[in-house]
Amino acid sequence: MPDLSTIYQIISYILPFECLKAGFMQQAMIGLILLAPMAAVMGVQVVNFRMAFFSDAISHSAFAGVALGLIFSVSPHWTMPLFGLLVGLAIMAVQRKSTLSSDTVIGVFFSAVIAFGLAVVSRDRSVARDMQRFLYGDILTISNNDILFLLILFIALLIFQILSYNRLLYIGINPTLAKAHSIRVATYQYYFAGLLSLIVMFSVWAVGVLLVTAMLIVPAAAARNFARSAGAMFWWALLVSLTSAITGLIISAQDWANTATGATIILVACLWFMISVIFSFIRRDSVS
Amino acid sequence: MNKPDLLDKYADTAVSFESVTVEREGILILDNVTAMVPRGGCTAIIGPNGAGKTTMLLALLGEIQYKGFIHATCNINGRCSRIGYVPQRLTFDRGMPVTVTEFLAMGIQKKPLWFGVRNDMQKRSLAHLASVKSEHLAKRKLGALSGGEMQRVLLALALQQEPELLVLDEPASGVDFQGEYIFCELLDGLRKEKGFTQLMVSHDLATVTHHATHVICLNHKVAAQGPPRQALTNENLTAIFGMHMGMVDSRSMPDGSAICSGPCCSKDQDA
Repeated sequence: MPDLSTIYQIISYILPFECLKAGFMQQAMIGLILLAPMAAVMGVQVVNFRMAFFSDAISHSAFAGVALGLIFSVSPHWTMPLFGLLVGLAIMAVQRKSTLSSDTVIGVFFSAVIAFGLAVVSRDRSVARDMQRFLYGDILTISNNDILFLLILFIALLIFQILSYNRLLYIGINPTLAKAHSIRVATYQYYFAGLLSLIVMFSVWAVGVLLVTAMLIVPAAAARNFARSAGAMFWWALLVSLTSAITGLIISAQDWANTATGATIILVACLWFMISVIFSFIRRDSVS
Repeated sequence: MNKPDLLDKYADTAVSFESVTVEREGILILDNVTAMVPRGGCTAIIGPNGAGKTTMLLALLGEIQYKGFIHATCNINGRCSRIGYVPQRLTFDRGMPVTVTEFLAMGIQKKPLWFGVRNDMQKRSLAHLASVKSEHLAKRKLGALSGGEMQRVLLALALQQEPELLVLDEPASGVDFQGEYIFCELLDGLRKEKGFTQLMVSHDLATVTHHATHVICLNHKVAAQGPPRQALTNENLTAIFGMHMGMVDSRSMPDGSAICSGPCCSKDQDA
């Protein structure tokens, strides 16, 4: 087990809440502080690429990923992200080669992975109960190993974003134009799809299948309303996701709330979004 | 064919299409198209809607599969290392918060845009915007630009490549006659200054007659090609557009009296 106690001490120093004294809460907090910014930054591009449905399909392949783990008796910790990665790259490949529209291609994959997951689960009633945790997510059971893996993913994502944020924006505006101006569009798209799949799978762990798209989309959508430039959009998405994650976790642990963590985080983010909509209306009025 | 032979063959040619055929779902979009684009000039591909004009450009840009050969030999080394592309109408999400300066920087700046656009990059973008007379657009949001403004920004983006070959798809669409005229004048000036080869698609005969030095008349096949005065005969136009074109022709090409200040229009053109 990696030793993360120093980080926990820092967390409890910065955020001196009663509920953060418990070890599992500290772990959850670290997990979220790593996961939320990743989802938000990838979300900026998911929104630009109109890939919300893509990430939805990946998140639903979590069932099938877990099911595969059950069949081969491998830990779902491994099969889930690997299967997600495979599905993500496969969708991207078919999408690029096929003349079908991308939502149709994704729709086919979506149905396939869900059906597969359900088929395996339906053979064994006891597993069905376990599946619930993937619907709602459970950040409170995150282990130190998970956190270590998130940390590695975080660094990989940071490097990827530093190298390709500008180019991904360009491709998001118009791939033909980007390609004509010598950007390697296909390479960027595959890397992006792969990384996105991994992050989606880890978000499933934290907030559950139902809310994973929200975690990607909502901060980015709010950021779009707040920001006036592509650079600002990045910082707004970070701000919205981090504040939502931290306040969401703390609220969910209060006695008066006692709600599911994932859902609470998304609700806070949606509140941000509503504020951003009002903000953009006010700005439009003042401009015109 | 080895390289010296190629160079010899294409001494004055920027792009040559040789028996290019594009077929999509059983429909021939380009049927054995053989055409050439002279170096340093302004070549226009004209034809009715659905004639395969844009397809020809996309084949050149390597965006679609085709049979046949396309030799791009813009410079004396027999290559086209830098192609600038101005698309017909940029379909993009207008809600995306991107400024014009960021848009110009995102293809070339390495430092991520979260840390802003570098100073030298800002100066460069401003210079390119100035060359298309649009400095005032630098701080504007991309989604808030009008059709004509967007076109100029796209031209600035293409010029930023320092292109040897500038490819424009319907530069006249979405702009009124006045705007289109000014845009073409601007292009003529830039071409003279920077010495690139210009290849554009158009279905507007007035633009073509005023600004092109070479015309490719296309309707799935090449009906005619050559300098405008030779290629744009009544028979050729009727052949590709069908009826009624005699009328447009007589309006836009009154014998020798067309107002044209473009360098390509002078009688002793050598471009």
